[in-house]
Amino acid sequence: MPSILEELPRFFNYYNSIFLAKAFLYTLVLSFVGCGVGFLAGFVLAILRTRRINRWAGLRWLATLWVEVWRRIPFLVKLMVVFFAFQFAGGNVSMFTVAATTIALSASAFSAENIRAGIESVHPNQWDAAETMNMGGLTALRRVILPQAWSVIIPPSMTYSVGLVKSTSIASQIGVLEMTSVAKILNQKGFSAALCFGSILLMYFVICYSLNRLAAYMEVRLALPRNR
Amino acid sequence: MNYTLQFGQVTPYLWYLAGGAWIALQLAVVAFIIGWAIGLVCASITEYGPKPARIAVRSYVVFVLNTPLLVQIFFIYFALPDYGILLDSYDAVLIGLALNAGAYMSEIQRAGFRSIRREEIEAAETLGFTRVQSIRYVVVPHILKVLYPPLSNQFIIITMSTSIAAIFGVEELTGRAYNINSITFRSLEVFSISAVYYIVLTIVASTILYTVGRYFFRIKGSVF
Repeated sequence: MPSILEELPRFFNYYNSIFLAKAFLYTLVLSFVGCGVGFLAGFVLAILRTRRINRWAGLRWLATLWVEVWRRIPFLVKLMVVFFAFQFAGGNVSMFTVAATTIALSASAFSAENIRAGIESVHPNQWDAAETMNMGGLTALRRVILPQAWSVIIPPSMTYSVGLVKSTSIASQIGVLEMTSVAKILNQKGFSAALCFGSILLMYFVICYSLNRLAAYMEVRLALPRNR
Repeated sequence: MNYTLQFGQVTPYLWYLAGGAWIALQLAVVAFIIGWAIGLVCASITEYGPKPARIAVRSYVVFVLNTPLLVQIFFIYFALPDYGILLDSYDAVLIGLALNAGAYMSEIQRAGFRSIRREEIEAAETLGFTRVQSIRYVVVPHILKVLYPPLSNQFIIITMSTSIAAIFGVEELTGRAYNINSITFRSLEVFSISAVYYIVLTIVASTILYTVGRYFFRIKGSVF
């Protein structure tokens, strides 16, 4: 323990601090972009799976298949598949794109499930009522169903996003400079492993804990009056 | 685009990969059992323990839940040797998986404990049950029924997390996929096949767990 305390000032020198801060931002941006794109994709998938809007069963099954497939592949394997699939397609893309795509694929699968659960939580009579008011499927979704569904969609989606922030650590395997790979680099430079990995554990904790608290707050805040 | 898919080069290794899936499953089962025990102890302490122990257990659970499994195993594997704890990669991964699963299962089982209501035990007492009988015939069946679905879900999550072991050189499914990749260089083929293995593995596990839950705990629901 004393050796770590002696090493502290040397570890948190100017360059290492900048390096770690950049990695912190990188992790945040990577998670944010991945989750954002994934959430939008999940939204489209959830709409495709809603019987009231998409009446073509084939497309519904395809959306279900997509969700089931990406939900059941571990992040590391998914990352490798995406990495080599980009190579196969011949695109010369950055590692950030590969990592963000992998996160977006995972996010699309889980948010499709969450959004579907949210849409299904609204009583089916609401759809009938909207139809009586001469609303089309999408209009009913936007004006009637979604305003009541957000409180079911948002909190679990945020909790799952925390899981994806944690998954970004696996993206260190393809060499994007997020926190875990920075910790590995600093460790190889000779700083003690306890300090390198301990400090990024704390940084991950800061992100994930605050996101989890926010999710818990939103759950209370968004709760419909009847559930309060 | 000058890469043609050649699955033929990977097919000789399909049994080798299946062996990897078996190792991954073993790792998951052991991690699940240890994690379940850790979770049970932690959940009991958080619900019924003295305050200092409760705070210690809560901080372990909250810390583990909010940090990535990969970095936790990195810490166990690379930082602990400085303090005289030398673990080989399999043990480090197993301990990491078990500690991680323990935190999650502590939360699950705590929710299970909370679902018992005082009225149930009082009703059992009214019927003349002894304490042991009311636990055996009222509390345990109830808890099992509440806990079974989230715990089986957790098992699937652990099964997928075992792929992280590959990063530490354990030759389970993903580790063996890495090996085949470095022999054949058919990267996309190898990793998409191992992805299919994971899908099949988790679907088989879900189906078995669902069937067991259906016939032993009368839990309604579906595999997907």
